[in-house]
Amino acid sequence: MATRPVDLLLGRLMRKAVAAPPVAAEGSRALALFKAWLPALVILLLLLVLPSFVPSYIQSLVTKMMIFALFGVSMNILWGYGGIPTFGHAAFFGFGGYVCGILIIHGGIANFWVNLVLVMVITALLGAGLGIPAFRVYGVGASDNPIYFLLVTLAFGELLVRVAISARSLTGGSTGLSGIPYPDLGIGVSINSYSYYFLVLGIVAVCLLVIYRIVNSHYGYALRGIHDNERRMQALGFNTWLYKYTSYIIAGMFGGVAGCLFAYFGGTMVPNNMGMAMTDIVFLIVILGSASVYFGPVIGAVIVVGVDYLASMYMPERWPLIMAAIIVVVIMFIPQGVGVLLLDLWRKVFHGSAA
Amino acid sequence: MSTFTITALNGVSYAFILFLLAAGFSLTFGVMGVLNLAHGALYVLGAYFGLAVIAQLDQFWLGVVIAALGTGLLGLGIYYLFLRHLYDKVPEQAVLTIGLGYAIANIILWVWGPFAKMGMTPSAFTGVVRVGTLAFPIYRLVIIVIGLLVLALLWWMQDKTRVGAIIRAGMDNKEMTRSLGINYGVVSTLVFLFGAALAGFAGILGTPILGAYPSMGDALVLLTLMVVVVGGTGFIQGTMLGALIIGLLDTFGKAYVPSVALFTSYVIFIVVLLVRPSGLIGRKVF
Repeated sequence: MATRPVDLLLGRLMRKAVAAPPVAAEGSRALALFKAWLPALVILLLLLVLPSFVPSYIQSLVTKMMIFALFGVSMNILWGYGGIPTFGHAAFFGFGGYVCGILIIHGGIANFWVNLVLVMVITALLGAGLGIPAFRVYGVGASDNPIYFLLVTLAFGELLVRVAISARSLTGGSTGLSGIPYPDLGIGVSINSYSYYFLVLGIVAVCLLVIYRIVNSHYGYALRGIHDNERRMQALGFNTWLYKYTSYIIAGMFGGVAGCLFAYFGGTMVPNNMGMAMTDIVFLIVILGSASVYFGPVIGAVIVVGVDYLASMYMPERWPLIMAAIIVVVIMFIPQGVGVLLLDLWRKVFHGSAA
Repeated sequence: MSTFTITALNGVSYAFILFLLAAGFSLTFGVMGVLNLAHGALYVLGAYFGLAVIAQLDQFWLGVVIAALGTGLLGLGIYYLFLRHLYDKVPEQAVLTIGLGYAIANIILWVWGPFAKMGMTPSAFTGVVRVGTLAFPIYRLVIIVIGLLVLALLWWMQDKTRVGAIIRAGMDNKEMTRSLGINYGVVSTLVFLFGAALAGFAGILGTPILGAYPSMGDALVLLTLMVVVVGGTGFIQGTMLGALIIGLLDTFGKAYVPSVALFTSYVIFIVVLLVRPSGLIGRKVF
C-alpha cells in the first residue's frame, strides 16, 4: 500500500484498513498525472509571467485573488470534503493575520519564515482549542442538524472580534492593527508590492499542493466517507471524531496562513476580518466556485475578488448590494457552483463526454 | 441600594426590548427551523421606516403599525422567494440571509444616511415615575407592558389556537402534518410574515431607548441568537427567560464589571450550546 507523507503523519494515528484510492496502471500513470496537472502547470506559468504584461494594480488584484483562493480552499477541506458547515472560518483568517502583525510589531520578529511557522503553530493551537468544544455539538451522537455547530463557530468568531476590540494595546482596538511592513525574507532580497506577488504565488501554490495531497490521501478519502455517511464510517472502525477534529485544525492552519499573507498584503488588520461578514464572503467563494471541485474555491475567489474590485472602482458604496445579488443568484440558481459547470465544459471539450 | 434598583429596572426593561427583538426570530427559527440572520437588519429597517412615517404624519402608533407592516411584507418576500426553497439547507440559509442583512443595511445607509438616529418618545409617555427618591422613565415601563402583552399573545397563540397547534405539529413532523390535509406552506409563510413584522415592531419601539444606526443589525442578530438559544428553542417562554438572563447579565455587567461585560453573554451562549443546545427550557427542535 502506498505510504505518502501525509498518511504517515495522519493516517497512522487513526486508521484502520482503507481501500486505496483508484489508480491507473503503472505505465500510463505518469502520463495521466501529467495530463491531470497540465492545466494547473499552465496557470502557474501564466501567473509567473503575468507581471511583465499587466499594470501594477492588476498585479495587486491577482495577489489578493490568490490569498482568497487559499482562504477558500482551506475552508473547503471542512465544507466540501468533510461536510462540516463551519461559520467561523474567518476567525482563523483574521486570527492568523493578527498573530502575524502582533509578532512583527510587538514581538519584533522580522523574519518572514519564522513568522509564518509561528502563525501556523498558533492558529493550529487555536483550532485544537476551539475544536474540542465545537465538535461536542456536532456529529452522530449530538445532532443530525448542523445548526448548533454553525452557531458555535459563529459565536467563536464574534467572540474573537470582541477580544480584538477590547485588547486595544495589543490589537489597536476597533480601528485595527496597522503599519505591518512587507516581509523580510532574511536572504537580503527586499520585498515590495511587485516581488510580494511572487512570494504569495509561491506560498499559495505550495499550500494548494499540500492541501491537494491531504484531501486525496487515505485521510481525505476517509473524510469524504464521513461526509457521505458518518455512521457507516464508525461501523467500519474509524474514529470519526478525530478525523473531523484534525480536519478542523488543518483547515484553520491554512486559513491562518491566508490571513498572514493578507496582513502583509494590506498592511492592516481590523476586527471585522474575523467576523460574520468575512465568513459570509468565504462561504460565498466556496459555494460559487463549487464545494465539490478541488479548484472550485479558486474560481470563486477570482470572481468574488474581481467583482469586489470592479465595484470598488465604479460604485464602492453599493458593494453589499452587489454581493447580496451574487449570493441570491448563486444559491437560488446555480447551487452546484460555477466550478462544476466549468469542469463539465472542460470534459466535453477534451474528453468528448461530460462524465 | 437605589442604584441597584435602578440598574435592575433598566435590566428588566432592556430584557423586554430583547424579548420583542427575539420573539419573531424565536417563531421562525425555534419553531419553523428557518435561520433568518437578516432579522437584525429587519429590526433596524423597522426603526428607520417607522421614524420616517412618524416624521411625516406625527402619529406614533400609526408609525409603529406601518413599520411592522412594511418589514412584515419584506420578510414575506424573503421567505416566499428564497427561504421556502432552502428547507433543510441551513448553511445556505445562513449565507443568504447574512448577505440580505448587509444589503438591507446598505439600503438604509443609502436612503437615510450614515448618522445614528434617536427615536422620539411619544408625548404621552415622556417624563418619569417617582417612587421615593427614585426616578424611572415612563417609556421604559410602557416597553415592559407591551412586552408582557406580546408574550401573552404569543403564548396564547402557541398553546390555545389552531395556528399554534399546526405549528407545533409541523415542528414535530412536517410530512405527517401535510398528509393530514393541512396547508403547512401557507401557515409557515404567515408565521414568517408575523415574525418579520415583530422585528419591525420591536425596531420602532426600541429606538427611543437603543437608538438606531445602519450597521446595527449585526450586533442585534447575535443578541437575538443568544436570547433564543440560551432560553430555549421552540417555546415563547424560553425566549422570555433568555431575554431576562441576557438583559440582566448585560446591564449588571456593564454597571459593575465593565471590562468583562463585553464577553459574558458570548461565554454563556457558548456554554449553553455545549451543555444543553436546546436551551434551558427548550425542547429539541433540530
